[in-house]
Amino acid sequence: MPISPLTRAVAVLAAGVLAAGGLAGCGAGSSSGKTTVTFMEAMSAGTLKPSLEYLTKQFEKQHKDIDVQLVSEPDYPTLRNKETASLAAGKPPTIGQAYSDWAATYAKSQVLVPLDTYAKQADVDALYPGVRSDLYLPSDHKLYMWPFNKSVVIQYYNQKMLSAKGKSAPKTWDEFAATARALSGNGTVGVAIDPGGAAGPAGGEAWFEILAAAYGTPVFADDGTPRFTSAAAVKAMTYLADLKKAGALSLGKNYPGQVALGAGKGGFDISSVASFFYNKQAVGGKFPMGTAPLPSGPAGAANQMAGTNIVMFAKASDEEKKAAWQFLSYLSSPDAQAYWASHSGYLPVTPAALPKMADFVAKNPYQKFGADALKTAKADPPYPWVTKAQGELAVAMQSALTGKQSPAAALADAQKQAAAEAKSGE
Amino acid sequence: MATTQAEQRVGAREIAAPRRLARRTRNGPAAVAFTLPALVIFAVFTILPTAYTFVISLFDWNPLNVAQSRFIGAGNYTKLFAHATPSFGASALTSLYFTAGMVLGGTAISLAVAVLLQRGGALLGAVRVAVFVPHVTPLVATSIVWVWIFNPQFGLANAVLHAAGLSGVDWLDNSATAMPAVLAYSLWHEVGFTVVIFLGGLSVISGELGEAARVDGANRWQEFWYVTWPQLRPVTVFVVTISTISSLQAFTQFFLMTQGGPVHATTTLSFLLYQEAFVFFHTGYAAALAVVLFVVTALFTLLQFRTRRSSSR
Repeated sequence: MPISPLTRAVAVLAAGVLAAGGLAGCGAGSSSGKTTVTFMEAMSAGTLKPSLEYLTKQFEKQHKDIDVQLVSEPDYPTLRNKETASLAAGKPPTIGQAYSDWAATYAKSQVLVPLDTYAKQADVDALYPGVRSDLYLPSDHKLYMWPFNKSVVIQYYNQKMLSAKGKSAPKTWDEFAATARALSGNGTVGVAIDPGGAAGPAGGEAWFEILAAAYGTPVFADDGTPRFTSAAAVKAMTYLADLKKAGALSLGKNYPGQVALGAGKGGFDISSVASFFYNKQAVGGKFPMGTAPLPSGPAGAANQMAGTNIVMFAKASDEEKKAAWQFLSYLSSPDAQAYWASHSGYLPVTPAALPKMADFVAKNPYQKFGADALKTAKADPPYPWVTKAQGELAVAMQSALTGKQSPAAALADAQKQAAAEAKSGE
Repeated sequence: MATTQAEQRVGAREIAAPRRLARRTRNGPAAVAFTLPALVIFAVFTILPTAYTFVISLFDWNPLNVAQSRFIGAGNYTKLFAHATPSFGASALTSLYFTAGMVLGGTAISLAVAVLLQRGGALLGAVRVAVFVPHVTPLVATSIVWVWIFNPQFGLANAVLHAAGLSGVDWLDNSATAMPAVLAYSLWHEVGFTVVIFLGGLSVISGELGEAARVDGANRWQEFWYVTWPQLRPVTVFVVTISTISSLQAFTQFFLMTQGGPVHATTTLSFLLYQEAFVFFHTGYAAALAVVLFVVTALFTLLQFRTRRSSSR
C-alpha cells in the first residue's frame, strides 16, 4: 500500500513529539522571588537529616528573603561524585560540604570562591583553634572553607564487660592492648575495625594514623609529604598486627566495631563522636556504654579532627553568594551549633556553644572531652592526593593485618605509591 | 502443467512488485521517522557518550574545569601499561581469574544441575524454580546479604566452620579467600540462568541416540560424555560466550563485597575503571580503560555471533 504524504507528515510529527518528549525534563527551574541557596550535603542518615532540616527552617524564618534548598546525598563518596558531576555540567550548587583535600582539588580547578571577603576576623577567632586551621588552603593561604560538622575519635566500651574483668577505660595504648586481649575469646573480640581499601579509607585507617602520631610521627608532614615508613608508623602497624594475631582485633565491613559492641561481642569501638547516637542505638540499653578520650602513646595524646567544612562555588551570583554566607554564618553560630551538637553527635565548632548545651554536656561527657580535643586535634593536611594516599595505607593495613606482608614491607609499598601521587600533585 | 516463459516473467513481476513496495516501505522516510525516536534515544544515551568517551581518552581531562584539560594523544593508553598499582595488567589478570571461575565453574555446575533436573516431575520442577530464583534477586541486596554470610564474627560461613571444629576465615578480608568468596556468591546468583539454557538444550536433543548408546552397552557417564554433551555443543558455546561477557562486565558484587580489596585482590578491570573514574577522578585514564574494555567485550560479542552463525549452518 503506498504511503500518503499525510501519513508521512503525521509520522514525522509524531516522531518529533516523541523525541522532544524524550529530551524533555532535562532542565528544571523555579522562581519564588526569593534568593535561592542550594546546599549539597550528606547529612541524610539518622538524626542528622531532621537536625539540619530544623536548622534550615529556623534560618529561613529569620531570613524571609532566602530559600535554602538542601540537596541531600546518601554518603560522602556520592556527595563528591554529585558535586563533581554538577561542576562538570556547569550547574554546581551554591554551597556544598567538602573535605579539605576536595577543596584543594576544587580550588586548583578554579571553581571555588575564597571566603575572606565575607568572613570577619572575629568570626574566625570565635572558632576552636584546630577547626580554624583547617579552613585555609596552602596554595594561596586564603580562607576557602567554613566549618560545619566536626568530630574527633573517642573510645566507646562495654562497661559491664570491662568491669567483669576488673578493668576500667584504658589511659594508654599499652593498657588498651592488654584490656582488649583480656576481653577476647569465646566469640568476643576486643575491637573490630574496617580499614577500608584503595577506593576509600575507613575508620580503621584513621585509628592507624592516630596511633602513628601517638608513637611520635604523624603519617603526613604539614606539607602533605607521606611519612609511612617512619619508626612510629611501623610501631603502630605492628601494634595492630599483634592485636590481630592475638585474636583481640578482627576485620570486617559496615561498621564492625559498632556491630560487635552492640551485640555484646566487642569490648571497644574506636570511632568518631558522630557515632555516638548510632552506637547508643546499637547497644539499645542492653548494658551501659562508656565513652572515654583516646588513650595516649609514648609521644602523648593524639587525635584526628574529621568531618567536613562547607565551600562556596564560584558559579553562584553575587546575591546568592551573599545569601549563602548568611546561612554559613548562621550554621556556625553558638545557638545553631549547640542544637546541632546536641542532636547530631558532632562537636560544636565554637566554644561559645558549650554553655548553651550545658544539660546535654552534663549527661554526655564525651561532648566536653571531645570538644577539648578540638584545641589540639589536627586534620589531615589539605592536599589533593591525601585521600588516595590514605587508601594506600588502608591497603597496607589489609596486607599487614592478614599476614601477607610484614608491617614494614606493607608500609614501604604504600609509601612508594603515595610518594608518587604526592609528586604528581594530583 | 508447464508454464511458459511469459507466464514466469509475469509471475516474477507480480511477486517482485510487493517486495519492492515492502523494501521501499522499510527504507522510506516514514520508516526512518518511525525509528527516529528510538534512534535519538540510542544516540543520546549510547552512541554519543561512547564517542565522547573516546575523545576524553585522548586528554588529561579535568572534569571540574574542561578549559584546564590537555590533549595528550595516546598518553592515557601508554599509561595503561605503566600505571601504578594496581596496573592494567594486574587487573586484567584478576578479571581473567574471575571470568575463568565463572565460565568453567558456572558451565560445569549448570550443566550438571541441568542433567540432574531434566526429567521433570513436581518435585524437580520445584527444584528448578529454587535454582533459578537467585538469578532474579537484586545483585545489590543479595551482595549485602552475602557480606553478612562471610562476616568473620557473626557470619554463617564461619559458623559452619566452627561447627565442624575448624577455625574461622577472614573471607572478604584475606587476599587469598576474597575472590573465591565473591565467586561463590556470583555462581549462586548466575547459575540459575545457565541451568535454564541447558535445560532448554536438553529438551530438544534426540533421545534415540542415547537409547542406542545404552543398547550398545554405554554406561551413564559414557552416554553423557559421548552422546549427550556433543549434541549440546551450540548451547555450551552460547553459555560460555555469554558468561564470559557478563563476567568481564561484573561490577556490583565487587563494589559491595570487597571494594576491589583486600590488597587489590578483587580489582577487576570494571572495578578499576570505576575507581579511576569516580573515586580518583582520573577521567582521561578511565576513559582509555573504558575504550579498551569496550574493545575486549566487542571482540567476545563478535565471537558469539560467529559461533552462532557457524553452529546454525
